[in-house]
Amino acid sequence: MIATIAEQPFTVAKIPVSSWGFAIRVWLATILALFVSFWLQLESPTTAALTIAVLAEPTRGQALEKAGFRLLATLVGVTASIAITGLFSQTRDLILVAFAVWLGICVFAAKLFDGYRAYAAVLSGYTVALIATQQIDHPQHVFESGMARGAAIAVGILSIAVVNTLVFAPDRQPRLGAQLAALHRRVRDYASATLRGEPDSTTTFLTLLREIVALRPEIASVALESSSGSVRSAAARSAAVALVTELQAARTNRDPGSEASGWPARELRRRDDEVRQNLLALRSARWPLRVWRAPLYRSFGTAAESGVRAAAWFAIASTFYIWAGWPAASVSLSFLALIAGLGATTPNPRGFTVLGLVGTPIAAVLAGILEFIILDGADAFPVLAIGLAPFTVGAALLITSKNLLWSSLGRVNLSFITMIFAPSNPQTYNPQAFLFTSLFVIVAATLLLAAQTLIPPVSDDKRRMRLLAEARSELHQWVHPNGEAPEEATFRDASRINQFLGVGGAQDSRALAEMVSCFDQSAMLRLCDTKLMQLTDGPLASLVDEARAAIVKRDTAALRAIAPRFCEQAPQKDSIEADVAACLFMTSNILDGGSEVGFPGEAT
Amino acid sequence: MAQTFTELVIGGVLLAPFVTYLVVTLVVIIVLRPLLHVVGFAKMFSHASIAELSLGVTILGLLMLLF
Repeated sequence: MIATIAEQPFTVAKIPVSSWGFAIRVWLATILALFVSFWLQLESPTTAALTIAVLAEPTRGQALEKAGFRLLATLVGVTASIAITGLFSQTRDLILVAFAVWLGICVFAAKLFDGYRAYAAVLSGYTVALIATQQIDHPQHVFESGMARGAAIAVGILSIAVVNTLVFAPDRQPRLGAQLAALHRRVRDYASATLRGEPDSTTTFLTLLREIVALRPEIASVALESSSGSVRSAAARSAAVALVTELQAARTNRDPGSEASGWPARELRRRDDEVRQNLLALRSARWPLRVWRAPLYRSFGTAAESGVRAAAWFAIASTFYIWAGWPAASVSLSFLALIAGLGATTPNPRGFTVLGLVGTPIAAVLAGILEFIILDGADAFPVLAIGLAPFTVGAALLITSKNLLWSSLGRVNLSFITMIFAPSNPQTYNPQAFLFTSLFVIVAATLLLAAQTLIPPVSDDKRRMRLLAEARSELHQWVHPNGEAPEEATFRDASRINQFLGVGGAQDSRALAEMVSCFDQSAMLRLCDTKLMQLTDGPLASLVDEARAAIVKRDTAALRAIAPRFCEQAPQKDSIEADVAACLFMTSNILDGGSEVGFPGEAT
Repeated sequence: MAQTFTELVIGGVLLAPFVTYLVVTLVVIIVLRPLLHVVGFAKMFSHASIAELSLGVTILGLLMLLF
């Protein structure tokens, strides 16, 4: 058991000062964005305030990275809006079909990425809904609307960037370094436990693997924090990749065959040293010795299925709105695309819609209180700033909550209060507009939930089975690496296990065991191939070819027979030949172990 | 004499000169970043982020003044 002394953060009203700092930054940035938008007389100051709500991230790097992706995605979305409107300007039904297809494509792309890249993909999708769908009756205004949105977003981004810098928003890098160092300690503890021969602790292995892979999106955001950010980000990324390989090496070390040679222990030491070097590089802002990418596993099948379903939800909702013939239904449809798009970036899209359905009435009531009770006709900017404070600060404080439900409700409220209140200059204080907007948002969430009940999102079971089937087929078809470094490929496999666990893989112990076995086997095969590569041009080339052929056939008996022949050629105990022999022996053990775990025929 | 600003025209659409300056500033900062890392810019200041923001504002101001 590890005893840790956690520093108690300074709190005000039982809320940490850092959370207060974050909430006040969000409020200040909202005020600044609104002030600049009013001053520049932008058409949509609400978008500038909404940009702040979207970019309300706890660290500077994260806000900047999300901002960059928001700007890029808006550019793509506006271009797509112009293209779609231009192509189908005279055919309204086809235009809706085109929107549905575009949304589907964007959700497909979002499922292939993680973090803010996924957000950018869905934003490209619902920007079309916000611009082109809302202007479906006035296609000639699509360009102006796009420009107005772009300008407001730029103002929002500049506002939050300036506020975050001047009010000292924390950097992610120091905490990231501490997190990676702590993970390194835990991986070493795990390695010592396996060396001592303690019983197999797959749970610890999986927890560590998940925590390392989960840092991936945050590592990318470090790049924008300072001029040394990209170097630190590369070092942190390499450290995370090296940690996964060290963890894998520690796991292999428990193999009974590994005792025959000192190679696995040497390999573990080498990996450990690599992690240490990378962590040092992160601390001192130096380039790591080897820069690794941290690839993400991409399940194209699941992504395509999610994309098709998102397009179907949009199509069902559009059909309903056309049938209902309501005025201003396009506004509601654009909200629907927004909720469907954002839901696609979460593990549970239907859960997100339910959250939207719960959060929207709360946001509507709060926006109503703000507009008709607190402000009630006020037209002075300072009054608006003060009036907004409790709502913005309150919602931002909720975002910092450790409880996922409260945090998500805070985020929904922060955005939706701004959206329903729609600050403008001059503020209209029109109860009818307020009621319509509130109603449309609630109708959008309800309709989306109905569509998602009719065509449910891809189930966790299906995603799990698909991931397992993909892992299995990738392992069976594995002949030689595809040019990717073995460490990077191992990280990609680790990200697949993370995705598997994210869809309830921990409950399915048989599938999980097979998934982990596939991970072990792939990593070992890659390691073996790298080792054999070192002897390809030497006098043992024919033996290497034999070993390779045995690996391709998964002939473990042949591998065991070849291993001693390498040993005979070894001049000393720690030579490459001896290492290759140990590696072949362990590969045959792991492959044998894998065939016991596998349940062919299942999950196809 | 007042300085004249040339507008950027993309496909017949006029863009405000300020947008051009902002984009150029962004490009200059991106190009400068590796150089700043080499000279250890971030280590020179207690609040490197403010120093970098000030550098950005200085570049923007210089661009507007000189071009």
